[in-house]
Amino acid sequence: MSEAQAKAFPVGELLADYPLPTDGYDELLTPGGELRPAWSELLPALAAMGAEELTQRYDEAQRLLRENGVTFNAHEDSHGSQRAWTVDPIPLPIDGDEWAEIEAGLIQRSRLFERLLADLYGPRTVLRRGILPPELVHAHAGFLHAAWQSLPAGRRWLVFHGVTLARGADGRWLALADHAQAPSGAGYALENRITLARSMPTLYRDAPLRRLASFLETERVTLAKLPARPPDKPNVVLLTPGPGSQAYFEHAYLANYLSLSLVQGGDLVVRDGRVWLKTLGGLKAVDVILRRVTDAWCDPLELRGDSVLGVPGLLAAVRNGGVALANALGVAAVENPGLMPFLPALCRDLLGEELLLPSVASWWCGHALEREYVLANLGGLLVHQLGLEPRLIDGSRLGEEGRAALAARILARPTLYVAQQRIRPATAPVWDHGRLVAQPITLRAFTVAEDDGYRAMPGALAWVSQDGRNTGRGGIAKDVWVLAPAPQPHVSLLRQAHGPVVVTRDGDDLPSRVADNLFWLGRYGERYDARARLLREALTRLLEQGPEAEDNGCLPDLLVALDLELGEVEGGPRGRFLALRRVFLAEFDERDTDGLRDIFDGMLRNGRAVRDHLGDDSWRVLNRLRQSLAELPSPPSTMAGRKALEEHLTLLAAFFGLCNETMPHHYGWRFLDIGRFVERVLNTVALLELAFVKAHRPGVALWEVVLATTDNLTAYRRRYRSALHPAAILDLLLLDEDNPRSVGYQLRRLARQIQRLPKPPGSRYRSAEERLILQAQTTLALANIEALADSARDACEGRASEELAHLLAELHAPLFELSEAVMHGHFSHAETPRQLIEML
Amino acid sequence: MNYTVTHRTAYRYRGRVALCHNEAMLMPRETAWQFVPECRIEIEPRPALSAERTDFFGNRVLYFAIQDIHQTLTVTVTSQVTVAPRPLTPDLPSPPWEEVVQLIREMPELNAMEARQFTLESTFIRPGDELANYALPSFTPGRPLLEAAFDLTRRIFAEFTYDPHFSTIATPLTQVLEERRGVCQDFAHLAIACLRSLGLAARYVSGYLETLPPPGAERLIGADASHAWLAVFIPGLGWVDLDPTNDCMPGERHVTLAWGRDYADVAPLKGVMMGGGAHKLDVSVDVAPQPR
Repeated sequence: MSEAQAKAFPVGELLADYPLPTDGYDELLTPGGELRPAWSELLPALAAMGAEELTQRYDEAQRLLRENGVTFNAHEDSHGSQRAWTVDPIPLPIDGDEWAEIEAGLIQRSRLFERLLADLYGPRTVLRRGILPPELVHAHAGFLHAAWQSLPAGRRWLVFHGVTLARGADGRWLALADHAQAPSGAGYALENRITLARSMPTLYRDAPLRRLASFLETERVTLAKLPARPPDKPNVVLLTPGPGSQAYFEHAYLANYLSLSLVQGGDLVVRDGRVWLKTLGGLKAVDVILRRVTDAWCDPLELRGDSVLGVPGLLAAVRNGGVALANALGVAAVENPGLMPFLPALCRDLLGEELLLPSVASWWCGHALEREYVLANLGGLLVHQLGLEPRLIDGSRLGEEGRAALAARILARPTLYVAQQRIRPATAPVWDHGRLVAQPITLRAFTVAEDDGYRAMPGALAWVSQDGRNTGRGGIAKDVWVLAPAPQPHVSLLRQAHGPVVVTRDGDDLPSRVADNLFWLGRYGERYDARARLLREALTRLLEQGPEAEDNGCLPDLLVALDLELGEVEGGPRGRFLALRRVFLAEFDERDTDGLRDIFDGMLRNGRAVRDHLGDDSWRVLNRLRQSLAELPSPPSTMAGRKALEEHLTLLAAFFGLCNETMPHHYGWRFLDIGRFVERVLNTVALLELAFVKAHRPGVALWEVVLATTDNLTAYRRRYRSALHPAAILDLLLLDEDNPRSVGYQLRRLARQIQRLPKPPGSRYRSAEERLILQAQTTLALANIEALADSARDACEGRASEELAHLLAELHAPLFELSEAVMHGHFSHAETPRQLIEML
Repeated sequence: MNYTVTHRTAYRYRGRVALCHNEAMLMPRETAWQFVPECRIEIEPRPALSAERTDFFGNRVLYFAIQDIHQTLTVTVTSQVTVAPRPLTPDLPSPPWEEVVQLIREMPELNAMEARQFTLESTFIRPGDELANYALPSFTPGRPLLEAAFDLTRRIFAEFTYDPHFSTIATPLTQVLEERRGVCQDFAHLAIACLRSLGLAARYVSGYLETLPPPGAERLIGADASHAWLAVFIPGLGWVDLDPTNDCMPGERHVTLAWGRDYADVAPLKGVMMGGGAHKLDVSVDVAPQPR
């Protein structure tokens, strides 16, 4: 950049390395080096912040994203293999007039596709009249025969539509791909906007840009109006493939933002030609499904029989008018890349209009002239293979032989191939360690149906992509600013009330599956806590003893408590010590099943499945725990391991504390609590058994471990100010109902929670779980305390403590059954539907 | 011919089924040569909901749901069917097969356009060189399509062993081709795949065949079975049925149920159920000729 140019807009260091566009289009600069008008206010504002400030804001934005768990990753786990989504602090501004053109093109495209879908799944006039070749439609797996005539005339096929756009070298915007089955990205766009607005409040407050919230408000209204005869308060759910899905974060986010229940296929059932949600209180009718499961997986009866993500009979319910889907099943037909060359003609035919938004140049090989062109230019094209095993072939990556083989395949089955021109998208400035660099940018824009037409989101999700293709996972995202004449008021759906609120208190409309996940979240969380505490004691003793210790104290008992085995040991005390250390530290190992990471994965898996029921703060704590585990080497040093465990115990306490403070104390929370305390009481009983019944080396050292593990050492010392006495320990940990670590307290808490669980209407008798908890409580209440004290003394003197052993076993049995009883009584046994005949 | 076709399907489950959704394609469709004055379908236990529709290919489909706990499911369909003779013989003139490959692609005529979708791959049928190579001895240059296609089915009849124990629905065609054995379904799929591999349009037809008792023996009731064959599209003649299992062109003794791209489009009884465990299946078909 020349001195004169730098003077023309005093943006100094930011643009020091920014290249002048040579052969492509650049969003920031004209080929002559002039600043494009859309940047005239933004760039000086950024420059005024300075590089240092921007770097700080950038770091802040990444932190916010990370802590909110914004990722595209398919299999996020504690092993830290997630790929983070980073957001660029430099927005992409688009001039209001230019956007108006894009917007008109998007809306027309959605209208066109709606008409096309209604025709393809109805009278099929465009095929009969020769405007679209039938084998092109049928060669694409998106055309679902089962969806034919599944909607009555006038009902919507396409409610949501996403379009991938890029700007070509000539400055024109082109559509690269259409997304109709589960068009994700709008939630990410919103999250990016919110994140950047939080990290750069001044910039965003004063900016004259169009706000996104009203678009989501339209989504909400449209969904509510979707049924043929919309009920007063339609029940709208968001159907997600589940936490394993790449876009699960967005599903949870949107469900929350739009106040919808987040459900999975197994939560729904079709009966009487309607769709129902399985809740704790029974079946609840569903009117509208915002669907994020792709077409083929939605109904194992009529579509893919091997799908466990869908709902058997869903299409029958749709035909019956019992449920409205957004989008309807079958919309994948418009994701066919082969449609693009036919869109101008289809637009004239179906809408009587000229197509406004051009598509990337494409050729369908079913026509001779096009085929010849494609065969002659394979090296410069992207080739889509349609059919049952679709794939995308990049001609430029093929050698001579590869191209010849592809050409032969095209000639053999020409109707299956569609070629697209490769484009190099326009570049835009991206923040890179204190300076701006030019990177190619692709956009995902969105429309939503509204009354008779469509409305486009005044903004988009932009990301860096070399060839304009949608990588779909991770990467650098940008916020897109559609400029308005003046700053616009800020609206958020989250703070708005929609009409009169129906006050509901105790939600027995909680999906059973959610109750199930919360229960296990509690169990795994508490299991982690118990294990971490035992392991901490072990590591502390390892640090105290040193490698030459002749006597390993209670470490062998701790091995038993953790269910670990030492195996054969050689080399005297030192060898024994090293082996002990290795075994304990292996708990941090990634490969160790039932180790800490495994337990945490269980916790995270269940937590993610109920993401929309956990507060943001609890979620942040869980993410911190995940990160801490991921950063820990495996195995760590003894010292580092102990330090990490200390931190984890605090984080777990914070997590459950936040859950207690922020979750409404209704059914969901009760199941979480029951899960925790079932686990805790089982662990406490096991610990007492170890200390007083099964110990290799009974005595003070082990009792200290028990008290420390239950965090009761201080309480004991305060109360007794004396040497450890078994009868006193028993009282504290078994009988004292005021001590949250005692079996007595835990049983009372479980009994109270279980009493308040929903019961089937008209049930007159105690439920199985009520009987079991009563049995355990009675056993404890009837225990002979005197005999127990004697028994404890026996233990102290190394004799068998029969009375105590008997009591602990009597307590263990009903508590062990309790978990099963709760699950059986309240959770939908998400039994996998089975096929009458297996097709493939 | 007039027939009373009775097709009874009975499932007995080991466990209890709480809910099932089903689709039956057991009601014969009407065609230019087939008239179905009556068709009764009885389902036990009684479905809570049932709805009939016409599918994309024009077949009759019955959806039904059973919502009470049950351990058996019986579907009995009784149809009165009149089948007229068809005026088609293997020696009718037809265009050379290579010409038809071109014609199908280019003919603007409506039924040719409809036929084009039957040139593509489908769930059970993946065209390929191996299949084309098997077909080629029948498809010599310039040979009329009907003659060539009939020769193909005749070769399948001659070279393949009918073996009900060899294949399941899931047996891939490559294995059928390699082992040279299978059942009517496999032979129909094989012939269709061969034709599509050459660029021709072929579809799968499900139905029944009246079996004649050996001379002097009594006709056995319920000993018949479901049958399957194929049809090839020939400009000028339309869809022409061929039966590779019996080396013939289906006529009065073939009762048509439904057609589609392959078996997956016309499975007689599909279902998804909750619970049930293992099951036992019992099917009986009776194609009884009726006096005129």
